[in-house]
Amino acid sequence: MKIRNDIIKVYKDVHIWVGIISGLMLFIAFYAGAITMFEKPLERWATPPSALAPPPPIERTEALLQAVFASHPQAAKHYLVVVRPSAEAPARVIWREPGKTRREFTEYGASFAADGSLQVEKLAKAPVAQLVDTLHQLVGLPFPDAVARQIMGAVALMYAVALVSGLIIVLPTLVKDFLALRIGKNIKRMWMDVHNALGIVSLPFHLVMALTSVVFAFHTPFYAVQEKVVYPHGLPWGQHEPAPLPGPDEYPLPADALLRSVEAQLPGFEVYSFIFREDQGQLEASVTGLDVRHGTRGRTQASTHLNPYTGEVDPHDLPGRMESWDAAVNAFFMLHFGSYGGNAMRWLYLVMGLAGALLFYTGNLLWIESRRRKQRDGLVPAQKRSAQVLGCLTVGVSLGCVIGISATLAATKWLPGRVDDVALWHQGLYYAFFAAAVAWAFARGAARGADELLRLAALASLLVPLGSLAGVWGIGGTWNHPGAGFAVDAVALAAVPVFLMLARYTRKRMADGHTDSVWSTAGGSADPAAEGADARAVT
Amino acid sequence: MSGKGAMPAARRLESRHWFGKSCAGALLGFGLAVALSGLFAWLSPGGVEGNGGKTQFNMWLISPIWAGVLCFVFLFRDSLRAWLWLGAANLAAFGLLGAIRLVMG
Repeated sequence: MKIRNDIIKVYKDVHIWVGIISGLMLFIAFYAGAITMFEKPLERWATPPSALAPPPPIERTEALLQAVFASHPQAAKHYLVVVRPSAEAPARVIWREPGKTRREFTEYGASFAADGSLQVEKLAKAPVAQLVDTLHQLVGLPFPDAVARQIMGAVALMYAVALVSGLIIVLPTLVKDFLALRIGKNIKRMWMDVHNALGIVSLPFHLVMALTSVVFAFHTPFYAVQEKVVYPHGLPWGQHEPAPLPGPDEYPLPADALLRSVEAQLPGFEVYSFIFREDQGQLEASVTGLDVRHGTRGRTQASTHLNPYTGEVDPHDLPGRMESWDAAVNAFFMLHFGSYGGNAMRWLYLVMGLAGALLFYTGNLLWIESRRRKQRDGLVPAQKRSAQVLGCLTVGVSLGCVIGISATLAATKWLPGRVDDVALWHQGLYYAFFAAAVAWAFARGAARGADELLRLAALASLLVPLGSLAGVWGIGGTWNHPGAGFAVDAVALAAVPVFLMLARYTRKRMADGHTDSVWSTAGGSADPAAEGADARAVT
Repeated sequence: MSGKGAMPAARRLESRHWFGKSCAGALLGFGLAVALSGLFAWLSPGGVEGNGGKTQFNMWLISPIWAGVLCFVFLFRDSLRAWLWLGAANLAAFGLLGAIRLVMG
């Protein structure tokens, strides 16, 4: 395709600038987002074992509820019946007690002890999976949600511009260069090929991510503006028929009857839990679960209303049974969350997410490579300050994110019981390692910094399965849930040789690669004094 | 804002207008997206008093339109043209939306 040269030139500049500004934040969003694909297994792996007795069979739920309501009447306002209790939701009956603010709450679970007495435990669902998800949602920024989310939205818009401008730049040579990987002496050419191949192949995925993220950031103002400008009588949310009042002889069905009823009405839908709310003496219920044949707008599950007195499901909120507009919106969510196609699709999204992180990383490498001061007359020039700074920043921020996540995951099995606020510690550990990595990259220069930080990333990742291994013997309060979460340890372990290999390549390039480069210890010194000594000769 | 006055036909696109164009794309692109999403809400099947699903769909529409304008705003020859054309498009779209609200509402 032919495009005028001046248009290509303008879009090249646009691409470079939006890329430089948003690239590193997008790296964090994609790396953390890839891990978030397995949020639930991670949560299970990270949650310490409960001290509650094994849950009673679902047929005894009513007896357990009566015992809970007798001693904790506030639980009757809002409670959950879990169909298959697991490590992160270890009780048959769970309820929330409100905290200081509306979003703060404490979860309690209940069971029957061996002697038949009621056991109540404050649940300790691991916060580390949520931390990774928050890093993903707020592109790694340590600001309050309200601020960071607006920045994320701006980054998402720039990301959309980067995608389209990048496409415009490669269009004229698309057919010729597509999937050509010219690995060889010309390093810039090679990174360019990798960057272009990644970008073109995953363009639809990236467009979906960019456009949905704009909505995730700005849906509140979008609605507010539309309410004023578009709709005559406020935002129309449709009328939901209020649930019919139960008759005087109608009582909520027991959980096992509800389960049988739902399973009969929704074949293929695996029920996770029932949620109950009491409103002026009337019980309202919803059922959560998943039919893997349909993607959901929730990250891990779907939910819909249920009449607790009759067991009748109102399926209009369930994927596959929605009206067309709802189904379209459901598709937007599910394309972002990868919540369709089960675990196979989750693994694919994980790979796409890591490839996305690599896309932004290679983009920065290209920027540095195209600003290289080349060697002339045997003199190795000092590299430009800007290239050095971006080299250090790229290495520090991306590896800082990688190390921070590995380090905070490695602490998961050691924190509970040792510290009061586990969530705060996870957050503190992440940002401490992140900040230290950025500082280290600037202190040591891009090349040496990359080598050393990659080895630290390998060490931090190795510590993740070691915590679980310690848990097998119960050393120091650690734990390991048999079966569940094995994949978490396996993936962390598999990352170790990858990081070591990358470190080896970095050292090799430092030793054998061009000396006129920020990736050489000769040209890449971050020492500000080197800026003055422009013609430092190295032989 | 400075165009090159009366240059011959083959005027080349330049990067130096980036700031004015970006602002036009961000502000007027958003306005245009809201207006067009409003037109869609009124004129598409189901109308403006639709159900919650359509209300969400209308909101989602803002994102691709806004991002689309922001992507292609750099094709305007200079900032002034970007502001004028997008401003005119906003006037037209909001005018139409106002008219439709008057007639159909």
